[in-house]
Amino acid sequence: MITRRHLMASIGASALMLPLARRAMAQQPFVIPTYGGTWAKLWEETLVPEFTSATGIQSQIDVGLGKDFVSKIRAGGGAAPYSVFMGNENIAATLRAEGFFEPLDMSKIPNAANLYDGLINTGNNGLRAIVSPIGLAWRTDMIQTPPKAWTDLWENPEYAGQIGLYQIGNTGAQLFLRLAGRLFGSGDTDIDTAFTKIKELQPFTQASWSGEVAAQLMRGDVAIAPVDWTEILTLQDKGAPVEIIVPEEGVLSYEQSFNIVKTGPDKEAAHAYINFLLDPKIQSILADTFYVSPANREAVISEATSPRLPVQGEAMSKIIRFEWDNYIDVAAEVADRWNREIG
Amino acid sequence: MTEAVPLAPPRRLPVWWMILPAVVLLGGFLILPYASIVVMSFREASTSAVYGDGFTIGHYTEVITDPFVWGIVWRTVRTAAIVTLVTLLLGYPVAYHLARTRSRWASLLYICVISPLLVGLVVRTFAWLIILSNSGMANSALKAAGLIDRPILFLNTPLGVTIALIHVFLPFVILPLLGNLQAINPEVAMAGRSLGASRMRTFFKVTLPLSMPGIQAGAILVFVLSMSAYVTPAMLGGTKGRTMAVLVVQYLVDNFRWPAGAALAIFMAVLTVSIIVLYLRLTARAMRRLP
Repeated sequence: MITRRHLMASIGASALMLPLARRAMAQQPFVIPTYGGTWAKLWEETLVPEFTSATGIQSQIDVGLGKDFVSKIRAGGGAAPYSVFMGNENIAATLRAEGFFEPLDMSKIPNAANLYDGLINTGNNGLRAIVSPIGLAWRTDMIQTPPKAWTDLWENPEYAGQIGLYQIGNTGAQLFLRLAGRLFGSGDTDIDTAFTKIKELQPFTQASWSGEVAAQLMRGDVAIAPVDWTEILTLQDKGAPVEIIVPEEGVLSYEQSFNIVKTGPDKEAAHAYINFLLDPKIQSILADTFYVSPANREAVISEATSPRLPVQGEAMSKIIRFEWDNYIDVAAEVADRWNREIG
Repeated sequence: MTEAVPLAPPRRLPVWWMILPAVVLLGGFLILPYASIVVMSFREASTSAVYGDGFTIGHYTEVITDPFVWGIVWRTVRTAAIVTLVTLLLGYPVAYHLARTRSRWASLLYICVISPLLVGLVVRTFAWLIILSNSGMANSALKAAGLIDRPILFLNTPLGVTIALIHVFLPFVILPLLGNLQAINPEVAMAGRSLGASRMRTFFKVTLPLSMPGIQAGAILVFVLSMSAYVTPAMLGGTKGRTMAVLVVQYLVDNFRWPAGAALAIFMAVLTVSIIVLYLRLTARAMRRLP
């Protein structure tokens, strides 16, 4: 039987525990969301120790996809598990519209001053710190006439039936769809024209992620496809007969958007982490490891990697970007239409 | 002489304490998540929040009246039915042999049966990705045998998904069948034989009817697993082999349509349960008619 004395003792003990609990909470490591595979490896082995050594902030990674981080932040409601979000800009735009992010305090991110144009969102609502350009790649042993422009996909009959495209769930497909609208229609929001033109490319093989495109190219299931430099240079390192170009119209790009989560537990650490990622030294490491284009003008790419990365320096202006804040209103409808009309 | 002190009766825990673990387990891990999904499936959609404030039955109307969804439902049910049937046809002889064999290699056979379970599902599916590609082992072997001129399209089709699911789920039909067949007294079949029945007649009239509970259990297990399989259809099916589980994930994860995705998931769960109830009734009736 619980007596009043027991009750008072319990309440007293709980009150004494509160500061301890708060301290324990305060000592919880800063959670860094990142991707799996080689990304997680680099973060665990290099970036996290470097970050701790540079800032004194203890941290741990949480591996997933941008969409997984969205689900966890949404599910967290008023107490998000992350203070920083990493994901493609079109995915970040969804959470931003739902009010989960707050503007960056740029005074805490001095390295952002050296970012290339177009990488900081309007109103400091997030910035893009990792840039993976998407070009047009092909199998050199299967294609006689290498492509020069995105429009070649439609105009060169040699490519018919050998084309690979991203599935609409991947940001790459949404970028390509909007590019088709811009190339052939009234603009990147001309979805009807984009669908008409993409249907002209059928039959084509679809892939859910870049690794799948790379595998399809390796197997010869597709001979030409839009894909990022990361995948193609990695295939070349393994001796695969593949090549990639910057199309005449420019390149598309996976841009990892970094945002401060409004309900996250440690926004100071989140700002420090974003600043750390933008550091020229870290940007160089990312470029050498993943063949991404440095976002910081001060970053130096190694002599071995630099000639293989055409989208750097002044060429960063060749990246074709789209506004996502309005697109998210129609994103689900577009995805549904793709599933029904393209398959 | 000392007086015996009567022992105090042992304190008995109230009965509800005994069922508390089960209630916590069912409530916490089944009822609460399901209830949350059901509630979400009735919430209005929103592009500026996870879901809107109001309630609607619109997502269910959309799912039930959409021919596109029904097309994928049909593909999913058909794939699950084929996988169930083929695993039964392939698994029964294996289970029968394992139940009857006295070979010293029996344990090796057991390992062979459960071997698909010893490797991660993603790894197994990657192996099928390599085997079934246009230039993979399957097409190369068929071409070398002169059976085909052009590669068969296995990947991104329901055929590839079906082949891989059969491999993945074969142990789930063999193991329940094995337990059932081992429990059948071999003397029953011997009695049939001693009364003049052929091997075939003995099998169809004695062994097969007695193994119906094992068939029933294995079939339900494989059917349910095939209906809800995600990794294999997602990796091998592409858009042409897409199943309901893949569509649900697309709604939830790719399109961020949580209420519509929840409605789709509930619809799928209800459909699966309905098919199983129907199957149980039909097989129960068939078993009652058995000699």
